[in-house]
Amino acid sequence: MNPHALQVWLVHAIREHSPVVDLMRTAWAWPIAESFHFLGLCLLIGCVGTFDLRLLGVMRRVPIATVHKLIPFGLLGFAINIVSGSLFLLTEPDQYIYNPSFHFKLLFLAIAGTNASLFYVTSFRRVFTDPSPRLDAPRHAKIIAAISLCAWIGVITAGRLLTFYRPINCTTTDEVLLTCYPD
Amino acid sequence: MNIDPFFLWVESTALSQWVTGSPSVAFGFPGILTLHAIGMGVAAGLATALDLRIFGVARGIPLIEFRRFLPILWAGFWLNAVSGVLLLIGYPTKALTNPVFYLKLTFIFWAMAILVRIDRRVVAGLAGDPARERTLRRMAAVSLVCWIGAIFAGRFLAYTYSRLTALG
Repeated sequence: MNPHALQVWLVHAIREHSPVVDLMRTAWAWPIAESFHFLGLCLLIGCVGTFDLRLLGVMRRVPIATVHKLIPFGLLGFAINIVSGSLFLLTEPDQYIYNPSFHFKLLFLAIAGTNASLFYVTSFRRVFTDPSPRLDAPRHAKIIAAISLCAWIGVITAGRLLTFYRPINCTTTDEVLLTCYPD
Repeated sequence: MNIDPFFLWVESTALSQWVTGSPSVAFGFPGILTLHAIGMGVAAGLATALDLRIFGVARGIPLIEFRRFLPILWAGFWLNAVSGVLLLIGYPTKALTNPVFYLKLTFIFWAMAILVRIDRRVVAGLAGDPARERTLRRMAAVSLVCWIGAIFAGRFLAYTYSRLTALG
């Protein structure tokens, strides 16, 4: 299936089966979901950002494993945003699936996710099972922390810009992904 | 008192018209909104992490060490003060005729005032004894409520305004 056909199929499939449209079209449901999306963002950036900055050398005297205890709350923020974000996507699928800013948001999310996984694969043991509490993170962990901060700022930027790249009717469809309404 | 002439004047300035009319994404309204969202993540996010620490999450982090994040938190705050003033200059009527806007400012004022008071207690070494820990936890709870209130109020601004511009 080519990417364009997949996008069209996704929009139609979501439209036909979405369980949340009625809920999201009630008064204030959309702004309340948006507010939760922003709260989740703060929780995620606050906790993950604090950990990233620790890896980069802020608050160096505190063991990395101690600061890592904030990470579950960052994941809670991420979960809040997956749920609230899905509510938007499942209500207005075409506004996201044909939106270039949404494509970039997914790209930055993929980078952030892959990068975080890399941290646990490459650095977790060295950082957490070190018998002496490691005060300075290994260099590759610092690089991962810097990429993490940039990727999350990218996610916020692409997310905030969604509204300025709403799709219009297609005139040409020669891009890799559709960024306009094909029908 | 009719303050429409003031709104009309602000909206007629070159700065206001740049904010609302610039076709550029990076150097115009979308870019300013984006900075405002990033500043929110930094300021409200780090404040939330500090509040969680006061509630006992990652209690191995000495509060005095957490102070190293405060300059970053303040940078986020000032980024949002500047981007917020620019947005206000762009749409003064929209914000200033909406009571929710004043609610948002009140929440942010108290959130930052409490942050300063928490910081003073930490510096003075008042953290540690149980009675004072309780006070600190109460302050952290109020701080969280203020940030949640500010974020809800901020988001609802887009849905509750009655007038967009002085002319409209």
